[in-house]
Amino acid sequence: MSYTEKRILINKLVMVLSTLSALIGMGFLLWILSILVINGIDAINWNIFIYEGAPPGYEESGLKHALIGQALLIGVSTLIGVPLGILAGTYLSEYGGLKSKLANIIRDISDIMMSAPSIVIGSFVYAVIVAPMGNFSGWAGIAALSIIMVPIILRTTDDMLQLVPSTLREAAFALGAPKYKVILQVVLRGAKTGILTGVLLGVARVSGETAPLLFTSFNDNFLNTDLSEPIASLTVTMFNYATSPYEDWQKLGWAAAFILSMFILTLNILGRVILAPKRNKK
Amino acid sequence: MATIINIKEEKALETKKFEFTYAGAPEPSLKNISMPIAKNKVTALIGPSGCGKTTLLRSFNRMHDLYPGNNYGGEILFEGRNILTEKEDMIKLRTQIGMIFQKPTAFPMSIFNNVAYGLRLKGIKNKTELADRVEKALKDAAIWKETKARLKDDANGMSGGQQQRLCIARAIAVEPEVLLFDEPTSALDPISTQGIERLIIELKEKVSILIVTHNMQQAARVSDYTGFMYLGDLIELGKTEELFVTPAEKLTEEYITGKFG
Repeated sequence: MSYTEKRILINKLVMVLSTLSALIGMGFLLWILSILVINGIDAINWNIFIYEGAPPGYEESGLKHALIGQALLIGVSTLIGVPLGILAGTYLSEYGGLKSKLANIIRDISDIMMSAPSIVIGSFVYAVIVAPMGNFSGWAGIAALSIIMVPIILRTTDDMLQLVPSTLREAAFALGAPKYKVILQVVLRGAKTGILTGVLLGVARVSGETAPLLFTSFNDNFLNTDLSEPIASLTVTMFNYATSPYEDWQKLGWAAAFILSMFILTLNILGRVILAPKRNKK
Repeated sequence: MATIINIKEEKALETKKFEFTYAGAPEPSLKNISMPIAKNKVTALIGPSGCGKTTLLRSFNRMHDLYPGNNYGGEILFEGRNILTEKEDMIKLRTQIGMIFQKPTAFPMSIFNNVAYGLRLKGIKNKTELADRVEKALKDAAIWKETKARLKDDANGMSGGQQQRLCIARAIAVEPEVLLFDEPTSALDPISTQGIERLIIELKEKVSILIVTHNMQQAARVSDYTGFMYLGDLIELGKTEELFVTPAEKLTEEYITGKFG
């Protein structure tokens, strides 16, 4: 076998191996999705959106409590986490810069926080909020989700702002703009699609969290909108229903899994679609 | 050592024993520069890469203040005051001394809002006044015809040459006294370059212009005065036609005849 023939063979081998690996990965993803869709669609009906939780065997049982609880938890933690993350990211990029010691320490800490198991953050919130207050509450769940969300949004904001060319900042300064206006009107505006993507991915990430909610917001089988009380979430409800021995509860678990996955999938696709036109233009 | 001619015109700007040191640098990048800049004329700065011409240009609107640790020495006189003092109002100075950058720097907003940006910073809110002054600036920058039908479009959709003229419109909208050009055509094609050069010559009726260029032909085409810089020194400042034909300094002659650079 000549040298060239050998090279062509290795080339083919690598191509086949990598294509196979990609197909295996895709295969599992499609398998998961198809099982989810088959069982989910089967489980979904109008009752799910109309009724709250009920003991096993009742026709009139649904996920209304979990859907509303989930929306509250995600909504309020987004309201807290997004501004905090964007402001902190803006500090890192615009006031700290890449050479600032403090900014780099914050970057390292937020990287560690991003890879920290979310159950650890849940237990932290349990120790500082749930235990002193004496009960599980929606607020504790929101605190845990916000803590998970902030580093994701902070890092994306930081990265996206760094991508804004420094000449654009200089051009705004050269027109006599004060620093806060340069940041608000030129830099953040230039990075807005990237930051929005970060926000969507951050929201998608916390939407699937279960562990930190287990011992913060806990659960409630009925509708509750008082955030100082335990509150239902889709993830914990899904966990409880799916692990129960009752077939109708298990079905509700599938429905919860399906709704949640579709929500997260939509956010992820949206995040990619928003970024796409910008990439094509360059 | 240096040969600096006495200019007869009124001076728009003047440096006196000006020095500049970048943050953390052991030696100053600009040394003992005393240079007059004539009012309503175009003064070009030429010299090999790294000679300090852009550094000098960016001192006139104190761009170096955006990064900590940079140090000025000597004086830069503008309207009878030294602008290197602590109490200098940077915001006001930068509306009086505008700047055009090497690469076009259109802001991520509409064409109209780009030009209106500086005006709004100045506190102009009246819609008709804004519209009038945006139109005038775009006309003065010779880009009105191409933009009047698409003022609301994103400025980043324009070509490079158009964006650069938009940046000039944005800078002249606030009616500065001086405009600093930092190699404004190095990222542009020959036709756009020609347009910008014609514009610079027209603009000197209203503003005094200082332009840094890598291109000696460009300096010869657009400027009334030319300064030659080398290794942080201003070697020679003279009338453009004299400097290129009969340079006083040997270094200048060697540079313009292409012996180094």
